[in-house]
Amino acid sequence: MPLVYAAALPHTPQLLVRPETEDRDLVLRVHAAYATVKGEIAAARPDVICLIAGDHIEGFFLNAVPALAVFVGSEISGTFDHYRFTFPVHEPLGRAIVEQGIDRGFDLAYSQDLPLDYAFSVPLHFAMPDPPRPIVPLYVNVYLPPQPTPRRCYAWGQTLRAILDARPERVALIASGGLSHYPGTDRYASPDFEWDRQLLARLEKGRGSETAVLTGDELDKAGNVELRTWITLLGAVGDAKARVVCYEPSWHHGNAVVTWPV
Amino acid sequence: MEPHYFFPPARAYPLNRFLFALKSDDAVRARYLGDPEATMREAGLDGEAIAALRDLDRDRLVACGAHPYLIFMAGLRLRMSREPTSFERF
Repeated sequence: MPLVYAAALPHTPQLLVRPETEDRDLVLRVHAAYATVKGEIAAARPDVICLIAGDHIEGFFLNAVPALAVFVGSEISGTFDHYRFTFPVHEPLGRAIVEQGIDRGFDLAYSQDLPLDYAFSVPLHFAMPDPPRPIVPLYVNVYLPPQPTPRRCYAWGQTLRAILDARPERVALIASGGLSHYPGTDRYASPDFEWDRQLLARLEKGRGSETAVLTGDELDKAGNVELRTWITLLGAVGDAKARVVCYEPSWHHGNAVVTWPV
Repeated sequence: MEPHYFFPPARAYPLNRFLFALKSDDAVRARYLGDPEATMREAGLDGEAIAALRDLDRDRLVACGAHPYLIFMAGLRLRMSREPTSFERF
């Protein structure tokens, strides 16, 4: 079954916990963009949501740092502050992705025991349709170098698409992350919004495959290490023309909500 | 130039392990808030790391090999524990 929906969403925890440091109106505009996507996901009637995100050194610490991984348990839970999240996992699809991914040359790690990172739970909190669908969490290492190259992420996305196309499930594919932000560094208060805007302009013109030739250094410099999750999704949707639902630059983060026709 | 998110040096493992616990382990964070000095000593941190952590001095922690993201989220979670009323303002 071909994909039935594709989007990229931010996961900034401030969107969830709403501290006084944030611009209320900006946060509410991003919430509205999430709501748009939530309605569109429901209308696309997916059986499962595959969510590509980077772990914030939450599930994977320095005991093991997989470049690409899949969660293949029956459910996954996580917390953020007083929020408690649990989502059922579509085990047959997760397992098929691992088995077929490895068969096609991607040496994926898998886990049945991980705490759910907020990179997954924040977008699902805002955009999970009602009734909720099972998910498959797909991990791309973004914060612990050496991370997978953009080229490898793009190729993984292409292979992921081929695997999903041959499955019976209707799949919504969501990338979580970005855009420019530099948590924990001296650039936290000065993201590279110009880089983001140029990227979005390229994506709107259907030039997503150009992201495959970015370098890891370029992503790090631009505060876009998390773009690897988008690049993976772009491998799956190819050069479809993106629709920017919102781009909301806050004092620390370029919040972008983007969809692609599938 | 070193990337913002650099390869974590092995010598910094105890410090990164401790920052990881501060951000992700409610019990460790509660104990740290009650008795930071003892909690840091028990984690096997050296004097420089302890001094940097005491003030959550980002530059000093990075110089010790701490991962910037771990510093960021450990700091945020400590702030959320100390000042829970400063969140969900709208």
